[in-house]
Amino acid sequence: MKIAADRARCEGHGVCADIAPEVYDLDDDAVVVPRFEVVPPELERKAEAGARVCPVAALRVTT
Amino acid sequence: MRDVVVVGGSIAALTAVEMLRVEDFAGRITVLSAEDVPPYTRVPLSKGVLAGTESIDDIVLAPLAAEVDLQLNTPATALDIDTRVVHTPAGPVPYDGLVIATGGRARRLGRPDQDERVLRSHTDGARLRDEVTAASSVLVVGGGFLGMEIASTARKLGKEVTVVDLAPPLSRLLGTVVGGHVRDVATEAGVRIVVTDGGVRLLGAPTPTGVELVDGSRMEADLVVSAIGDVPNVEWLAGSGVQLRGGIVVDRHCRVAPNVVACGDVTVVATGDGELTRSPHWTNAVDQARAAVHALLHGDEAAPYRPSEYCWTEQFGLDVKMVGAPDPQGEPVVLDGALAAGSALLAWPDATAPRTVVALNHHTPPAKLKRLLRAPAMAAQR
Repeated sequence: MKIAADRARCEGHGVCADIAPEVYDLDDDAVVVPRFEVVPPELERKAEAGARVCPVAALRVTT
Repeated sequence: MRDVVVVGGSIAALTAVEMLRVEDFAGRITVLSAEDVPPYTRVPLSKGVLAGTESIDDIVLAPLAAEVDLQLNTPATALDIDTRVVHTPAGPVPYDGLVIATGGRARRLGRPDQDERVLRSHTDGARLRDEVTAASSVLVVGGGFLGMEIASTARKLGKEVTVVDLAPPLSRLLGTVVGGHVRDVATEAGVRIVVTDGGVRLLGAPTPTGVELVDGSRMEADLVVSAIGDVPNVEWLAGSGVQLRGGIVVDRHCRVAPNVVACGDVTVVATGDGELTRSPHWTNAVDQARAAVHALLHGDEAAPYRPSEYCWTEQFGLDVKMVGAPDPQGEPVVLDGALAAGSALLAWPDATAPRTVVALNHHTPPAKLKRLLRAPAMAAQR
């Protein structure tokens, strides 16, 4: 599983990092930075949950 | 618990689904959505969608996992708690666990024969986008976040824009200081703000053409949009035994009845003083969905709902992020920047134990805003 983060769309609300801090980090401007190039299998559901809650639909996970 | 049914199709419902999966719930998940399109985010409706720069494809949320049974066009029509069945036009849907997330709908002020323009769904958004394009003047009834965002977008499109409300727009949400600043910026951008003492009556049918104030004066526009809040979708629960008081009353674990939880805009939560409050914001829906699923799966062991009390608005080139209690009173402590300079970090009532923090065009990440609010309280508990 990979994460596509649209950093231009990201508004820095940080809900992804609230829900799934193991998968999503925020930079100094609160713009999302996924912690993995390829999400480890045990964190895939966390990655999906974090992507889901983005209020501006800036995150997509793909398998 | 083998069958969990989630009623609703927006962010509270979807977060509940994802939390069930994160918790390794091994049973079947069924989602009953009244909408005719897959779940999307409403946040851009008043911005990119209204401006015509974003389509429904841009705001659709990532698809649910294949094993989740998402049923569109399937409104819940009744609930039988004793037999654990949700009724729908397509037939009864039995459950072991139920998550109610039916959300809200736009509040209306007009008569049934008036085709009032509101902004809640993607259909509303697409229609308003077309109508605002054709209009040269826009009248927005209601100056909350949504109304002012619509005004901002319409103004950016070059329309002549008026906002009318009973109170100065945004003050009850952002307080008088930040509310006043945003109004100043809106006025400078060319928006006319009218505060009226008394309600307004919607004129024109079927298409609204204006409003009449209590003094009999009238305001008219090519496009009249009502943005006067929302009402929870609870009618389907009439007679079910679910406690309804301006929404579904939930406990601190978001529980409603045995094996029934609720989350999002449809709920009301008891505050310390016994009052019931609604928090119809994105992050609250997410917070509640998480607590609701934990309570459904783990009962009293689950961590209670802890609201992050975070909301935001973007309008007139201002990016306002607020954590804590709404409507902060009095002058804030300036933690950084200055309101007059256009970028500020503000706290109420003081810097050591703030109850509200607002970042206006200020690059403090929300996570840090939340820490500013919580750190003193946590220190006090130790």
